[in-house]
Amino acid sequence: MSNRLTAQPGEIIDRSTSLSFTWNGKAVTGYQGDTIASAIAASGVDVFGRSMKYHRKRGILTADHWDPNLFVQVGDEPNVRAGSRRLEAGMEVSTQNVWPSLEFDLGAANQLVGRFLSSGFYYKTFMRPKFLWPLYQKVLKKFAPGGRIHWETSTHGAYDKRYVHPDVLVAGGGPAGMGAALAAADNGASVLLVEQYGDLGGHLLWGNEDQRAHGADLAASCRAHDNIEVLVDSTVTGRYDHNWISIMQRSHDIAPERLIKARAGVMVVAPGLVERPYVFAGNDTPGVMLSGATRRLINLWAVKPGNRAVVMSANADGDAAVGDLKRVGVEVVAVLDARKGESIVCVAGKSRVSKVVLNDGRTLNADLVVTATGWTAPTSLLNMAGDRPVYDATAARYFSNSLPSNILATGGITGDGSTAELEAHGRATGVLAANRALRRRHDRVAQTARSNDPAWDKPAEMADSRTPLNRVPHPECYRSTTHGMVDFSEDVSSKDLIQASKEGFDSIELMKRYTTVTMGPSQGKLETVNAAAVLAEANQVSMAEIGTTVWRPPFAPITLGALAGRIHEPVRRSALQDWHDAHGAAPLLAGQWVRPDHYGDPMEEADNVRNNVGLIDVTPLGKLDLRGPDVSKLLELVYVNKWSKLDIGRVRYGTMVAEDGVVSDDGVTGRLGEYHWLMTCTSSGAGAVWEMLEDWLQTYRPEWQVHVTAVTGGLTSINVAGPHSRTLLERIVEDVDLSADAFPYFSVRQGTVAGVSDCIIWRIGFTGELSYEVHVPSGHALHVWEELLAQGEDLGCRPFGVEAQRILRLEKGHYIVGQDTDGLSKAPTAGLGGLVKLDKPDTIGLPELKAAYERTDLPILVGVQTDDPEIVPEEAAQIVDGGSNTILGRITSSRMSPTLGRSVCLAQVDPSLAAAGSSITVLLADGRRVTATVQEHHAHVDPEGARQRV
Amino acid sequence: MGKRPPKYSAGALVKHGLTRGDWPRMWRRPEMHDSYDVVVIGGGLHGLATAYYLAENHGITNVAVVDKGYIGGGGSGRNTAIVRSNYLTPEGVAFYDRSLDLYNTMATDLNLNIMFSRRGHLTLAHTDSALRTMHWRAEVNKLQGIDSSVIDPQEVKKQAPSLDVSPNTRYPIMGALYHPPGGIVRHDAVVWGYARGADHHGVHILQETEVLDINVEGGTGPGGKGAGGRVSGVKTSRGDINSPVVVNCTAGWASLISNMAGVPLPITTHPLQAAVTEPCKVFLPTVVVSGSLHVYVSQTDRGELVFGASVDPVGTYRVNGTLEFTEELAGHVLELMPGISKMRLLRQWSGLCDMTPDYSPVMGFTPVEGYLVDVGWGTYGFKAGPVAGETLAETIATGRTADLIAPFGIERFTEGDLVGEKGAAAVGH
Amino acid sequence: MIVVPCPNCGPRNSGDLRNCGELVPRPDPSAASLIEWREYLYMRKNPADWVTETWYCRGGCRRYFTIERNTATNEIRGQEAS
Repeated sequence: MSNRLTAQPGEIIDRSTSLSFTWNGKAVTGYQGDTIASAIAASGVDVFGRSMKYHRKRGILTADHWDPNLFVQVGDEPNVRAGSRRLEAGMEVSTQNVWPSLEFDLGAANQLVGRFLSSGFYYKTFMRPKFLWPLYQKVLKKFAPGGRIHWETSTHGAYDKRYVHPDVLVAGGGPAGMGAALAAADNGASVLLVEQYGDLGGHLLWGNEDQRAHGADLAASCRAHDNIEVLVDSTVTGRYDHNWISIMQRSHDIAPERLIKARAGVMVVAPGLVERPYVFAGNDTPGVMLSGATRRLINLWAVKPGNRAVVMSANADGDAAVGDLKRVGVEVVAVLDARKGESIVCVAGKSRVSKVVLNDGRTLNADLVVTATGWTAPTSLLNMAGDRPVYDATAARYFSNSLPSNILATGGITGDGSTAELEAHGRATGVLAANRALRRRHDRVAQTARSNDPAWDKPAEMADSRTPLNRVPHPECYRSTTHGMVDFSEDVSSKDLIQASKEGFDSIELMKRYTTVTMGPSQGKLETVNAAAVLAEANQVSMAEIGTTVWRPPFAPITLGALAGRIHEPVRRSALQDWHDAHGAAPLLAGQWVRPDHYGDPMEEADNVRNNVGLIDVTPLGKLDLRGPDVSKLLELVYVNKWSKLDIGRVRYGTMVAEDGVVSDDGVTGRLGEYHWLMTCTSSGAGAVWEMLEDWLQTYRPEWQVHVTAVTGGLTSINVAGPHSRTLLERIVEDVDLSADAFPYFSVRQGTVAGVSDCIIWRIGFTGELSYEVHVPSGHALHVWEELLAQGEDLGCRPFGVEAQRILRLEKGHYIVGQDTDGLSKAPTAGLGGLVKLDKPDTIGLPELKAAYERTDLPILVGVQTDDPEIVPEEAAQIVDGGSNTILGRITSSRMSPTLGRSVCLAQVDPSLAAAGSSITVLLADGRRVTATVQEHHAHVDPEGARQRV
Repeated sequence: MGKRPPKYSAGALVKHGLTRGDWPRMWRRPEMHDSYDVVVIGGGLHGLATAYYLAENHGITNVAVVDKGYIGGGGSGRNTAIVRSNYLTPEGVAFYDRSLDLYNTMATDLNLNIMFSRRGHLTLAHTDSALRTMHWRAEVNKLQGIDSSVIDPQEVKKQAPSLDVSPNTRYPIMGALYHPPGGIVRHDAVVWGYARGADHHGVHILQETEVLDINVEGGTGPGGKGAGGRVSGVKTSRGDINSPVVVNCTAGWASLISNMAGVPLPITTHPLQAAVTEPCKVFLPTVVVSGSLHVYVSQTDRGELVFGASVDPVGTYRVNGTLEFTEELAGHVLELMPGISKMRLLRQWSGLCDMTPDYSPVMGFTPVEGYLVDVGWGTYGFKAGPVAGETLAETIATGRTADLIAPFGIERFTEGDLVGEKGAAAVGH
Repeated sequence: MIVVPCPNCGPRNSGDLRNCGELVPRPDPSAASLIEWREYLYMRKNPADWVTETWYCRGGCRRYFTIERNTATNEIRGQEAS
């Protein structure tokens, strides 16, 4: 049975293009221009789904984006709004909220016990016995509403985002919005006009011939205007501080949805009005719909909404619906004038309305009930700008109260008027918007120090002299003498709301939380005003005293895919990473960087460093080039140790603490020249150390002359470690004397390596071996690396990875900030005793450093060896007091040492256990308790440092 | 003491259904008195729990809870309702474990189903250093009898099949801290349960009553406020109240209220945002948290995904939220579960968090006699509500700081003994 | 995403910068008592009102600068309305 009418004068369907799709597995055909819902309705379907709680059958209510009854699954996309989504060929559309089928749904049994399932019933039961609640939860989950994720096919595809900077952004493409856009554009503003539905025009699209023609003219002018960009099928979803505005654009070429972010000078809010349902028993029965739904179905899609209609009208739109119905041959059996107190009491019918009871006592047979009982102002965007709308009893709706200067409202949200009046108000608003926006643009350019001042004069400020739109009186029509649905998505009735109020949930926000009214997918667009009205009635106060809930963003739901956009989480790679990849390195994600963890056998790699020579890429090491006469003052300030007397050509190790005395970073800094230093810091701390140096230099000691340049990526760092490292370097370093006397431990030289000049070489020993760190300009890094390997082949030179380095440094007892120290570790914990100089006049955290050294209760970092050399306690294994559960410390680092053939650890322990030779108990992850002994030094291998000083 | 409230039960529900009778109010709207034994500022979870335990455990019922809006309108109704006790420090573990105990028996204790879903809690590790921290927490937890362990990616996949545990992602899941007793609770119900319980003991819950000043005499600060002073009551938008004890349970507004007593706090106020999606059929059985990705997510029995993140980096009292929160959130969630790309974000909101330097609360007595604080909860307030109320009530009733909150005194910020929870707290849900 | 006026780069999205919190003067570290020092470390005015705070132009010129922002409205002194 087809409900498709003959051609209607304003129809937007293209009857020459048929689109085939399926509805619950059955083949259906619609036309280009149909929504999913209009096509299904045209095919004769009344029931689109089931309600959330009682699983009542539901049909078309509003036939637009906010229709709470038209949520469907389309392929692998859940929760598609059939009321607004354009039909496409091949769509597989199905009902969501049913089990096992739309016609026969077991959940409907809830209707039978509905009287016991009043709002909040679940709070009042299943407390005991306790095991019942988890069982009931399992049942609840089975009935969760909504669509289904198709894990096999669904993934995050291609999405992108766009930024725009319009002077004026107009939200809403009805007569007022288009008027505003045109006037703003005529006044020199760049305008972005955003319309939620498929075409400009707003309510004019389903209006009479004059209205349609007027709308088409305005739309054509907008599209033709050079200063206006039109976005249709796009929704302004949020307004955030400083007019940062989100727009969700549908039907974009590259993705189903695209997020557009606009920084608008002024936003003109012109969303029109949302028609609100009337509350009466059976108001959610299929066949009960709003006047707007009726008019859209008939005029846009040529769908006959029913055969015998009862219309309840409180306004001109309802009256117009009567005309539309009669025109297409629907028998209008009664028109109730709500302005005269005529009203519907209740309707009967399950899959479709069959009878209507009126308040004059009549009962009529009808399959269509149309209500036109008033409007909700969708004030979401105004709310987001801080506005708290106020109820006007005369017009029976809410109006904005106060707006910031960069937001203007126009159209139905501000009052009523003819098409011409709405357009005129829009135009006046557009002029004002352009004035404010151009003044802002002028300010913005002028405020930018490095841009030229605008070549045009700042416009004089214009007063807001707009003539407000009238507020046409409208009856307060909210609820009949019976109870019905207030929230269709959540199955919340007026009876539920009154009960909630009596239980103490007597403010709108409390009531919302208790009953979940307005919490569903339409987020209150249809429900908020009726809910407030019912609450006012329950509390016996005026609507104005109730207030409304705060409308939160987004205005309409947005896919996570569109919000995420193209996920951009880059990984940093050194200039050598391709080589590592090509040579079998296991990748290790370490913070921002990917690094070679090992090339096969880390133990063997470590062993090779101890016996021959190895190369490791340590580029992620933070590197800062410091220049200027006051660098040593800066170093004195930021390190705990002394720096003023470091000679040119020398390097020194330093530790940094924060102002609270907690160890924050460490590294080696070398003096390359009179006014030139190179600082290194941890990889993860590189950014923070750079910013910290700038902070002190700019805000605390602006008189110091120091220039900081981050060179972490610019210099590729290669550590050449092992007893043969000097021999190897001597083969390829041209102009530096590498002999022990000429280039002693903790020195730095600049020279040419493998023909590459301007390399920095310093002799330090994180691994505990004779070693040189070579910092090479990154463009030449691969050449130097390969040359080192080639020249060192006979010396056993091989690369080693991060894991081997960790073994080597632990054998040597070098701690790692953030692993062996934590967020509370002060300098004494790290065992910096001799390094810290408290007699400096100023250093970061000085008072806390002094206080820390007065204390005797801080944990101490120590070297630890398990008494059973085979046992490697897990890092983070707890050190406990014998057999008790009292915690006395933890293992911070542990490895099997290839050099010693036994396990080695660093641990933070209570000071009572810190003395060399103390026996401690370590609790392993498997529950065993093993003993271990505190060592004299952090270093397990070569504590005297003989190997690195050769 | 008021009479006991009518019992909620399945039987009572049937009876009311048959008779269509009205349920009584859960709490009254009482007339304000001009004096109380204790005034609690803030009608959220902490304030109401404090009042409830003062009455229930200590027989102190001449108590007023004052709130400038409606009860539970702040963080109590805006959090993501996750509870757990797998903290990093022994003091944190002991404290939150007691809270979990109270949540476990709350439905029967308060005769209101708070819908505790003990569904398990996963904290994902994406780096070896994060994994090390998870091990650290697990070891500390185990020593205190907490069910907490580190599991591998395959086991993570079993617990939460929708997660992408393949190794080739930008943030590969290398393991997780698994805490079976963790779960989610219907947060509003907890507020209402305490309100109902307190009300029936005779506590006055005074909504829409804003505190304008705290009366303090004899202090060394301006106006006789501050250290050394003594509290005598509060000035409210509905008149003055005399009281020898005033308790600050105002979370994000804690600094503003405390300044009225002349007691500065080590707190900055930052919004914490959350969001919820439209419902989909249930697929995520556990709570999932990722510190590196700054996100936590759970799915309600109604099928909505509830998301949270870390606090906003810019301190503000604005609660209108930001777009970038939703963008980052979506990006990070899709890293974990690319399959939900077509789910839609329905609503975002934010609450105010009172952040302290060590991510631990400030509780108990202050330098002003009679003025107590229960603030600095940051992002952990909901988890702690029951135990905070219980211990604070004990502290007020006995005049002695309860053992469990001894580490959280305000003096630690002058003595330099901060609590070490920060290490695990980057996103600690 | 509020707009923060960098004195050098002009108005920028706050995401390009880093907020460093309310400006707290640093006591002389060699003279301050521990109590004073820890007030500097930990105590904050945290007003719901105008506050002087530091920003770092992280993604731009790398300047540190202070502005006045109202933490109740996010309005920035001398800038547009929030």
